[in-house]
Parts: sequence; C-alpha cells; structure tokens
Amino acid sequence: MRRAFLLLRRRLITSIPVLLIVVIGTFFLLEAAPGDAVDAYLLSIGGGDPALVAGLRESYGLDRSAWARLAAYLMALLRLDLGWSVLFGRPILDVVMERLPATLWLMGSAVALSFSLGSALGVVSGARPGSAADRLLSVGSLTLYAVPSFWLGLVLSVIFGVQLRWLPTAGLESIASGKQGFERALDIARHLVLPVAALGFIYMALFLRMMRAGMAEAWRQDFALAARARGLARRRIVLRHVARNALLPLVTMLGLQAASMLGGSVVIESVFAIPGFGRLAQEAVAGRDAALLIGIILVSAVLVIAVNLVVDVVYAVLDPRVGASEPAT
Amino acid sequence: MTRFPLSRRRLLTSTALLLASAGLPARALAQDGKRLVVAADSEPKNLNPAIVASNGVFFIASKVIEPLAEASFAGPDGLEPRLATAWEGSADGRSVTFTLREGVTWHDRKPFTSADVAFSALEVWKKLQNLGRLVFANLEAVETPDERTAVFKFSVPTPFQLIRNALPVVTSVLPRHLYEGTDIEANPANASLVGTGPFKFAEHKPGEYYRLEKNQDYWGEGQPKLDEIVFRVLPDRAAAAGALEADEIQLAAFSQVPLADLERISKVEGIEVYSKGYEALTYQLVVEINHRRKELADLKVRQAIAHAIDRDFVVKTIFLGYAVPSTGIVPKNAPEFYEAGVTTYAFDPARANALLDEAGYKRAGNGTRFSLKLLPAPYFSETRQFGDYLRQALAAIGIDAEIVNNDAAAHQKAVYTDHDFDLAVAPPVFRGDPAISTTILVKGGVPAGVPFSNQGGYANPAIDEIIEKANKTVDVAARTDLFRQFQKLVAEDLPLINVAEWGFITVARTSVKNVSSNPRWAVSNWADTDLES
Amino acid sequence: MRPVRQFLRSPEGVAGLLMIVLLATAALTAPVVFPGDPLAIRGPALLPPFADAAFPLGTDRLGRDVLAGLMHGARASLAVGIAAASVAIFVGALVGTLAGFAGGLVDEALMRVVDAFQIVPGFLLALAFVSVSGASLPVVILAIALGAWTGPARLARAEVLSIRERDYVAAARVIGMHPMEIALREVLPNALPPVLALSSVIVAGAVLTEAALSFLGLGDPNIVTWGSMIAEGRNVLRSAPFLSIIPGIGLVVAVLGVYLLSEGLSEAIAGRRSRA
Repeated sequence: MRRAFLLLRRRLITSIPVLLIVVIGTFFLLEAAPGDAVDAYLLSIGGGDPALVAGLRESYGLDRSAWARLAAYLMALLRLDLGWSVLFGRPILDVVMERLPATLWLMGSAVALSFSLGSALGVVSGARPGSAADRLLSVGSLTLYAVPSFWLGLVLSVIFGVQLRWLPTAGLESIASGKQGFERALDIARHLVLPVAALGFIYMALFLRMMRAGMAEAWRQDFALAARARGLARRRIVLRHVARNALLPLVTMLGLQAASMLGGSVVIESVFAIPGFGRLAQEAVAGRDAALLIGIILVSAVLVIAVNLVVDVVYAVLDPRVGASEPAT
Repeated sequence: MTRFPLSRRRLLTSTALLLASAGLPARALAQDGKRLVVAADSEPKNLNPAIVASNGVFFIASKVIEPLAEASFAGPDGLEPRLATAWEGSADGRSVTFTLREGVTWHDRKPFTSADVAFSALEVWKKLQNLGRLVFANLEAVETPDERTAVFKFSVPTPFQLIRNALPVVTSVLPRHLYEGTDIEANPANASLVGTGPFKFAEHKPGEYYRLEKNQDYWGEGQPKLDEIVFRVLPDRAAAAGALEADEIQLAAFSQVPLADLERISKVEGIEVYSKGYEALTYQLVVEINHRRKELADLKVRQAIAHAIDRDFVVKTIFLGYAVPSTGIVPKNAPEFYEAGVTTYAFDPARANALLDEAGYKRAGNGTRFSLKLLPAPYFSETRQFGDYLRQALAAIGIDAEIVNNDAAAHQKAVYTDHDFDLAVAPPVFRGDPAISTTILVKGGVPAGVPFSNQGGYANPAIDEIIEKANKTVDVAARTDLFRQFQKLVAEDLPLINVAEWGFITVARTSVKNVSSNPRWAVSNWADTDLES
Repeated sequence: MRPVRQFLRSPEGVAGLLMIVLLATAALTAPVVFPGDPLAIRGPALLPPFADAAFPLGTDRLGRDVLAGLMHGARASLAVGIAAASVAIFVGALVGTLAGFAGGLVDEALMRVVDAFQIVPGFLLALAFVSVSGASLPVVILAIALGAWTGPARLARAEVLSIRERDYVAAARVIGMHPMEIALREVLPNALPPVLALSSVIVAGAVLTEAALSFLGLGDPNIVTWGSMIAEGRNVLRSAPFLSIIPGIGLVVAVLGVYLLSEGLSEAIAGRRSRA
C-alpha cells in the first residue's frame, strides 16, 4: 500500500513539468500558425471590413503579445481555469468536459475489445507457436492492422449500416429519443458497435502479437520447462503459467497505447460523427482556437497519465513477484 | 484567489455532467410527430442571421428568424412577402417604405411591430452585419409612423434596386425587446434564437444536432407542416449518402452528397435528387490573380491562362454536368444584370502558347516558361479538384504551378491578408446584386485583410468609376446598364478569370414534399415543407 | 549461410520478402514505366479496371491513370515512411544517447520532454502541426516523426545506460577522450542496433499515419500517395469502390510485408543465436 502510494506521489510530481512542457509547446505551435481565431471567424461569416476585424481582435485580447497571453494563460491554469473558448463562446473546461464522455466510451470500449480479444487470440496463437492456427491468426490480425482505420470504418458502415441496416451509421445515440435507463444504454451500445469495431480491431493485432511473442518467450523459461517436465497438462501450463507471464508486458503496452488510441479515435469520430475529443480538436485547429486546443491536449495528457497510473497498479497486482508472497496461487 | 471557488465550481459541475451523462434522461418527444432530419456539415456557433449573413447560418436560422421578403420563382422582381407585405422606393432614392404584416408575434408571444424593424436596421444590419454595412451604409433613420409601417431614410441617394435585391439576405428581423440595451454581439439569443418564423429554436447539442420545434402560432395559414426539424451534424461528406440510404436522415442540401455519388444514389428506391432551389445562391468558380507578379500583370499572360482552361471539361468532369461554363463576372442566373456580349476565351492551348511566346516568356530547356504558386480554396472538393486540373492545364502551356494546400484559416490569411499567392481558386457567391458581391473582387483600393475581396493588387480606374457611379444611380435601367458595361470591361482586362458557375444539389427521401420550391430554398423558412409517412 | 536457410524455411518471412521486393520494384521502376506526372489527366474519368488496355486499373475522378498512381504512390508512400522513420530514429537515438550518457539534470530534463511527447496523442500532434504549418512533404514527414521518436529515444537511453558501464567505455575515459567523443564514437554505435530494429515498425506506422492525414485532407497535393488516392476515392466509395480498394491493397501489402519480413529476419537471427 505504502509502495503504491509513494509510486503514485512520484508519478504525480513528475507529471507537473511534463504537463508544463506540453502546454508551452502547444501554445507556441499554434502561435506559429498563419491565421488566428478572428481569421477563422471571418471565414465562417463570409467576410467583413477592417474595422470589424480590428474590433474583434481587441475584444479577444489577440492584439496583445504572445508572451503576455502565455503568462495570462499559465496564471489562469493555476486556478484550474482553462480559459475562454473564442470558437464556442463558453468556458473551455465546460466544452471539453461535455465531449469527454463520448471519447471515454469509444476508447474504453475499443480498449476492452482489443485487449480481451487480442490477448485471448494471442493465447490461442501462442499455445502452439508455428501451428496453422497461429499462422492464420498472426497474418490475419496483421492484415487488419495494415488497413487504415477510416477505411475499415467506412466499409463497416456501408455494409452493416446502409446495406443490412443492422446498426446506425452515425452519432452516439438517437436524437432526443426520450429513451431512458436500460433502453438508453442499449441505444448507445448499438451506436458504438461499428466505431468500436473499426478502432478496436486495428489495435487488436498489437495485443495479439505481443501476447504471442510473450508466450513464445515464456515457453523457453525454466518454469515452463519445469512444468512440462512435471507432466502438467498443456492446457494448464498455457493458462496458469505461460499466459500469465506473458500478460504483464501487455498491461504495460496498454499504457503506452493509450495516447495512440486517443489519436486514432480522431479519424473514427470524424467518420461516425461522434462528438468526442478528436472532432473537437479538429474544430479547434480549424477555428484556430489555441486555448481550446491546448485545453484538449492538456486534458488528454492528463487522461493518458491517469491510464498509466491505473496500469501501474494493475501491473503491481499481476506481477508474479508480488503474487509469490501471497498464499495459494 | 478570488476566482478559485468559481473555477472549482465549474470543475465540479463539469465532472457531475460527465458522471450524469449515463443516467441523464433525454428530452422526450412525441415520436408520432413529423420529424425531418437534415444533414449539416458545419456547426455555426453564432446563429444570428442579422449579424452573420452566411449560408451556413441561414441554413438553420432561416426557419426561426425571417427576413422582410424572400426570393421567389414567380413573384414580381423575384420576391415574395415575408414580414413585409409591400415595399416601395421613392424616386429620389432617399427613402424606402415597408408595409409590415399584421398579426405576427415573436416566439415569446410579444407582438412584432415596426419598432423591431427600425431597431434591427439601425443597430444591427447597418452596424454589425457583414453585408448590411454596405447596403445600409447611408441609412440615417427609420421612421415608424405606425406599428405597421417603417420608412427607411438615406442621407445620399441609394438605389432601390440594390435594397430590393438584398432583402432576402440582409433583412432578418430581430426582437427589439430582447436586444435593446444589451451587448448585441454577446446576447444569449444569438445562440438560442427567438424569431417570428415557422419553427422555434429548441436546443443545440454541440457536435450532435440542432433541434427546431413547430411554432403553433405562426402567421402562415396551416403552416408549418412539420412538427420538428433536426439538423444532424455530419462532418464527413461521405457519410451523408449512407445516412440518407439508411433513412437516418431525410435530406442533405448544399451537395453534402458528393456529386460523383449522385448518379448511383438517384437510382436508389425512395431517394430523389434536386438540382433546383439554388438559383439565387449561385457560386462562381474563379481564378484569382496576383497582379503583383510581373508575368501576371501582363494581359497576354492572363489571356493565355484563360485560353488554357477547358471549361467544358471542368463542367463535365469536375461538376459532372451540375454547373455551366462562365462567360463573365456576373452569372447567367442573374438575368437582370447578365451581359452575354463580352469578350470570351475559348479553350485553345495553341493560342495560349502563342500568346505566351509573344509576351516574351519562352520555354526553357525543360519546357517550362515560369513557375507559379497556386492556392485552391479548401472549402469545396470541387475547388480542390479544379486546382488539380488547373495545374495540369497550366503544365500544358509551359507554366509550372505548385499547389499549396492550406486549411481554411491559413488560406484566408495567405490570400486575403499576406498576398502570398500567384493564382488562387475561389468560390465567391453571387448575392443577387453586383454591388454586394462580384464588384468587390475587382474594385481597387480594398485594404488587406478583407476576405473574399480583390487582394491581387489590381486597380483599374475605369472599372472603379463605373462601380462608384452605379452605387449612386437610382434609375434602375441606367444602373443595370452600368453593370453591363462593367462586365464588358472586366472580361476585356481579365483581372480574374471566371470559369464556371454552379448551384448545389439537394438529395432527399421521396417522403419529403415541397423541396426546392424557391430560388433560395435551402436557406428559406420551409414553412410548406412536409413529410409523408 | 544458416540464417538464410533458416529464414527461407519460414513461409511468412519469404512472403514478406516477396511483397517488399515487389513494392520496391514498383517504386523504383515507376518513373521509367510511367514517365511524367502521375497526376496528369490522361483519359476519360472513372474508367473501371480491366476495361481498357491503356488503363489496366482504370482511371479516377479526373481521368488520371490509377496504375501510374499506384506505382508512383508506392514510391512516395515508402519514401515518406522511410524518411519519417529515419528522422525519428536519428533524433530519438541522439536524444536518448545524450540523456543516458550525460545523466543527472540533463537526463532528467530530456526525459521529461520525451514524456511530454509520449503522453500527447501522436496523431493529434501531427494533425495540429500539419494544419498549422501547411501540408507539404517535409512538414508531413516531420509531423509523423514528432509522434514516433520517443520510442527510439527510450530504447537508446536504456542501451546507453547498460553500455556506459562496460570496460571499453571506462578505458576510453581513462585515456582521456572527450565525453562527447565517447558518447558518439563508442557508445552510440553499440546502442544503435536494437534501436534500428524498431525501424520496420516505425516505417509501417508512418505509412499509415500519412494515409490518415491525407484522409483528413492534410497531404501534399503535388504528389500522389496511397493515402491521397484512398481519400480521393472515398467520395465514390459506393459507385467506384476500386478507387479506394486498389491503393488500400497497396497499403496492406506494404505494412504486412514490412512486418512479416522483420519477423522472419528476427526469428532467423534468434535461431542462429540460440544454436550458437
């Protein structure tokens, strides 16, 4: 417990300079961009005259220097204030929090799908390395991995949404349907099937290959050889010893892939019209809303840090060295 | 420190929102009602059409907030009444009298009167609106002798023809009682509209949809027919076609279904393709030219480029026939002003090559005469495709064009502020009168930073003089004649090259009735639109 | 010769090798077989594959030859992938070596920067970077590398940490070599091989990232890549599916080939090691 607490504290302390680097880096990236929020706004209204332009810049504080704006931003951040979105005309924290659930649902489900299916198939694959099943799974998952996610998404939606009409093609739930409770949960689940499949199948290959490689390694280890020498049933060796050991790097992988999946969801959200983080980020870039983009990147960084903290804890639970001290495994 | 509690509360409410998202009851709706679901590809944040006169805003807001008059196929001068029932300009061009409709109430049940019109005109259209600033520049006062009459007074003669043509676009009337004495641009009613239209604004779920509800007290007899309109945000254009086929949406306007998919989808049972209903929203495909480049300042080079473009190819292949080739700066869809007798430039690469040789730009060893930077506007796939085509067309006459691919904001900045382009592809929209649309593309002396204007450094005193004169000419025939001369001058001197003009395509389920019933249908009020089950 | 034989015994490895050879041939011969700009309009638009001998794979929306696009696209896509991977590995190895070798505050600072890049979704960063800098080939390459260099950096640092305690480094120190010289001359070359092993994964990832960027309209419009072909074709996904399927197959073959080949190779080498 104490160890976990110390770990947690250390992680949180080291996170602060990292987040600071993220904020400053993003700020100057957007600063270097041609065009600002006012340019983007003018575009959306189809033009305006110079007086209007200058007035808008002044009212948004865009006529101040970059350093002054950065300093003001960092000060506000200390008060947990992410600032004001020029694009939405609302506090950024509100805008970001509003979109967070959709992304969490999408990512969470995709992670669950790719991790469970990937590791399960990985066990099948790694149980007998080099077997026909192993080769088939291995090449099959790699092929899926090589398909661009947006393309998989489009094709899935054409087949299952348009032609078979089994599943909805867009959105996170039915519009103002009045559904509640279980019915509503079911509605959301139906909307999530296609985007989660498109995102999850692609990452599945990573977990499958990791599991398989881990198992191949584990077979060569002494304990596996010992277990075989003891004449234990192969099935038992596979599940109890080999797979369990191979699962550890997978958990670490989960943490490492969190950021990448968050990025991957950008495209999927665009294809399936899901109002999540990725879409919001695209809108922020298109609208040159620097503060909003920093807010999004900051919150996703915090999200990734949180996932990694959970991964650390899970790792500690699964680690056989921890398990060995416990009775009866 | 003082603001900390506020921020923390914000954080807490946001977190609560997140937690509650799974259990929050969605608003109930009578499922047996007539709900029309429409695809929307953009999500304007400021929905107020009196401030932002753009098609993206009108698309949604026109159902809630109405103008004084709307465009019409059959009505006199191409107009039909909305909030005004009659309009008349004085002979001296110093006043326009509007007779307003009786028995109209705002969605909050307050009565609609001439005071609302006076307030909107003086405080909003004239001061804040991107186009109204031009049309009502010299508006001095609006007299309201009674509740049903509004008399616009101008300090200098202002052509009634211009006002009339601009009515559908610039005269969305706002409720004075909600705006007076407030910061109009920051008024919450800009996001949550209150109007007199057939539909009331119900809700906006960011990233998902806008929902409008039937206005039971609408002035139109038996209107509206629909109970609800939902604008579903579908950012990916390829998604709209699928959603239509799956009957998740019933209508996609503004060519949300890609042109290349129309032939296939028109054969799908239960789906209808409409190419009507955009006559007053004609977009022009234009090559903008930076006259600061010495090669492009040479008329012969501009003529050569005009001769290098195969307009038939553009219409047939890029627009798949849903466009017409342009002859000049005013589209054929504006018969009031259109002049056919202008200099035209037929597709003739040999002539183009000869012109370039004459101008002294010989081909170098690699076959290239000179290099250019080409910036296609990213707003439409057709403008991008035309950019790809133009690069090839220029290569055929020995001009090497490098395409610069910018997103919308960067394109805006590069072309209209920094002038960092040689050629640009633009899709300006013709707004019923040259004074509020095409003239700004060639007028000299426009300061940098004004979007969709002449930023190519072109200045021609003869053209500027005609534009100036037309702005003060009250007589309709004389003013029209000036604009005809204007077209001839432009075609001769080629400050820019007009390639094609197009309207958009609407695709709808056959269950949707009364589609495309006026020349601005997509951005009109849809009071008579119906849904058959 | 044993590893070669070992390699040839793995069907996946051989298949991967064949795919890569095929793609490399296509990429290298493209300018010979299809001289001129592959974006040039050559014939009628939307010709289906196998309908006209002059255009064996048909033409696209504007009448450009799909086969020419496919072959030139192989060239561009692989070039983007390899360039991005090279930048990522170069920067990563350099930063990792410096951090590992310098230790202390420098190490701490550099690794925080690595952390910062690692917790920001790479694609989000690439998206922002390209939108901001304008889509051109170098920008796209850099954007992809931005999200890929942290892996090599971490690996290089770990290698360096283990190497710098070894005898030959200590010896170099004793004879008075400059620390920078030791880092670059003695440590880096030894830390590099495991880092280079990452390259295949990075190349494959980079090709896919380029495709996704093109899909969102953020590719370089002056060259043809598979990603841009798929993005173009998706508007006609229903009426002319071949336009996105053909370059899609190219993408799958490339990524699959790279993975299978690297797997076959590593198995062959591991086989040799375990026997040795």
